Amino acid sequence: MYGWMGKILRVDLSHGTTREVPLDEEVARLYIGGRGLGARIVFDEVGPGTDPLGPGNRVVIATGPLTGTLAPASGRFSLSTKAPLTGAIHDSNAGGSWGVTFKKTGYDAVVIEGRADAPMCLEITDAGASLKDARDLWGKDTKETVQTLLERAGKSANVLCIGPAGENLVKIASISVDGHRALARGGVGAVLGSKNLKAIVVMGGWKPAIKDAEMFEFACYESGKWLKANPVTSQGLPEFGTSVLVNLMNASGIFPTRNFRQNQFEHAYSISGEEITDRLLVRKAACWGCPIACARRIRLDGAEVEGPEYESVWALGAECGIFDLEAVAEANLLCNRLGVDTISAGVTIGCLMEMSESGLIDYPARFGDAGAVLDLLGKIAYRDGIGDELAEGSRRFAEKHDAPHLAMQVKGLELPAYDPRGMKAQGLAFATSNRGACHLRANMLGPEVLGIPKRVDRFASRAKAGLLIVAQNSFAVLDSLSVCKFASFALGDEFFARLLSAATGIKYSAQELQVVGERIWNLERLYNLREGFSRRDDTLPVRILSEPVPSGPTAGQVVDLEPMLDEYYRSRGWDENGVPAQRKLAQLGLEGA
Amino acid sequence: MYEDFKMVGADLYTQGITSSHGGNLSVRIGDRILITRRGSMLGHLQDDDIIETGLERNDSGITLASSEIGVHRAIYLNTSALAIVHAHPVHAVVCSLEMDEIVPIDSEGSYLLHKIPVIAAEHTVGSTEVAKLASQVLKEYKIVMLRGHGCFSIGQVLEEAYQWVSSLEVSARMICLARSAGIRMKEYRGESDKYSKW
Repeated sequence: MYGWMGKILRVDLSHGTTREVPLDEEVARLYIGGRGLGARIVFDEVGPGTDPLGPGNRVVIATGPLTGTLAPASGRFSLSTKAPLTGAIHDSNAGGSWGVTFKKTGYDAVVIEGRADAPMCLEITDAGASLKDARDLWGKDTKETVQTLLERAGKSANVLCIGPAGENLVKIASISVDGHRALARGGVGAVLGSKNLKAIVVMGGWKPAIKDAEMFEFACYESGKWLKANPVTSQGLPEFGTSVLVNLMNASGIFPTRNFRQNQFEHAYSISGEEITDRLLVRKAACWGCPIACARRIRLDGAEVEGPEYESVWALGAECGIFDLEAVAEANLLCNRLGVDTISAGVTIGCLMEMSESGLIDYPARFGDAGAVLDLLGKIAYRDGIGDELAEGSRRFAEKHDAPHLAMQVKGLELPAYDPRGMKAQGLAFATSNRGACHLRANMLGPEVLGIPKRVDRFASRAKAGLLIVAQNSFAVLDSLSVCKFASFALGDEFFARLLSAATGIKYSAQELQVVGERIWNLERLYNLREGFSRRDDTLPVRILSEPVPSGPTAGQVVDLEPMLDEYYRSRGWDENGVPAQRKLAQLGLEGA
Repeated sequence: MYEDFKMVGADLYTQGITSSHGGNLSVRIGDRILITRRGSMLGHLQDDDIIETGLERNDSGITLASSEIGVHRAIYLNTSALAIVHAHPVHAVVCSLEMDEIVPIDSEGSYLLHKIPVIAAEHTVGSTEVAKLASQVLKEYKIVMLRGHGCFSIGQVLEEAYQWVSSLEVSARMICLARSAGIRMKEYRGESDKYSKW
């Protein structure tokens, strides 16, 4: 095969065995790889009612046919599973270089099942795979774990691991990638923890073969031109990192503050990309093969560490009313070391802070208290005291205290850093996302704020469903290729179709990629329906639906969701309950699903 | 939404990209289409010049819709387009009489479009043949030329689809000017020999 490596590694932790199976060429053509391949395997192998933290759940780590090639921003990979935080089908996606090295071992994916009797480490090389005793690593944080494993394996290796939060089955636990990237959302760290799998080390030297090298190089050349010409990908993100969005979102009145009670933060500039650049930046950094280079290396307490991304700056900053940039960076670093999702942690703590200030709970955590955030992160990771409740995520925590309306979540997953009351298509995106509230299933920042491809009225509700569906389908494809979504600020589907066609030798048009994305989206929807999700779960927090924004450029706005949902279902070819029609499934080749 | 129709329609006419009563515009909203009225003047659209009807099923709106609605429907059913502009850009039509694909020589056209395929049909207005050909090509390209007639362009919003039409016409005008002036072009673009393979 071209583009793909043609093999999947299967690991059964219960029996301590590994084996290779060929990648099904038809599945590869229909689902591409990454998230699409993962969704297909999870759908087929993780049946209804499976305990996400039980041995029956699967972990599918997959690259795409563009991973590790010269295609821009192609150093990514996906992890698919059934998420403990939501009970829904889920995938997390990360950059860095772990995915590229994994692909160089000669596999497109690794599928992990069962549960080991004792902590293990999976080592994958181009000579094969083996399970190793990891009892000495259990209890270590992600930094210590990565350092230890790199000392053993050598610096050419890459390490993916969980921290204490994953070990303690925290439902907002992340997986660290080389200590400074994360498969963050949905509690995927707890899934590895439940399987007693502490880490996966990869080392390899294979390279994917390209079918039409001349056309592939030309498509890369043309892609590079567009990336260099677009101010988002050539200036905004490289110069200020993802936190370039802080001031922009704040000025637009969509920067959620203090658990979404406001959506402008009076101290936003203090935690902005400009401030990070001026005060903390040591150097810029990039994922493997990425010309955008949006990552930051900052100096904190005398050490050079990975800087916080926009979502983390927001969740651990404005969402909790904190504007001490060093404290936010320290909280971000602590999340990385403990293996905690920054977004879910920040929003869950924000929920606690509002409950505390409202007198709904007797706990001394107030908005603006940076010390409390640092303290609570440790309690969450070790399930200590109130941390044991917070470790369940905002929905379960708020429900336990009879305040479900204060949990800013959809399907159990906490909202990211965009207030949908000021961007209505984003509200529909959060409500309909298959993994819960997420800006990476579809980010409507492009049309509603940045004017990509063209600016639309962000307050309008009508005619947003079509825009959203195109974005959802496109993002599903990007996650399957696997390419960073930031590239799509500059590049349309036609570029990725040409890159994929040249790499694999299989002809894809831009429209065919949309159909692939639609197939993945519908398969994920079918999975969730099978688990009991329905239209009632395609909703938003009560605050977003019924509490008008108090002031600023979005004053008076709420999301009028139901008419948008009706339009969305019709546009998707689903019935009024959000169930895909048989005709639609037949179009997508999903009749039997 | 209606304002978008009026803005794009007025621009198409005042830029000379279409004649007084030529061309048509549409957007898709779920299973519905908003399309310009048959015989409407794009340069002077009123609210009642924008007709709503079904994407796949007719209703009374069909009696007023543009005669090209069949092509619009086929494009929507075969692509993810949410907006379509059909116009008769003069220089692009001239180019289509000779060329099987229009490869821009200017920087913007090269950058945005790479190349524009040209299709041909015996019946060029509202025919099922055009509907089939155009909708297939638009799975891969943002804009297609129908020989001797005009272009169909797609986008997520009308403004985007209009941009491709405007860019095509500017590129075609430059090709015509360069040819009429007998200019022998000095290549300035990297990898330009591959544009026709795009």
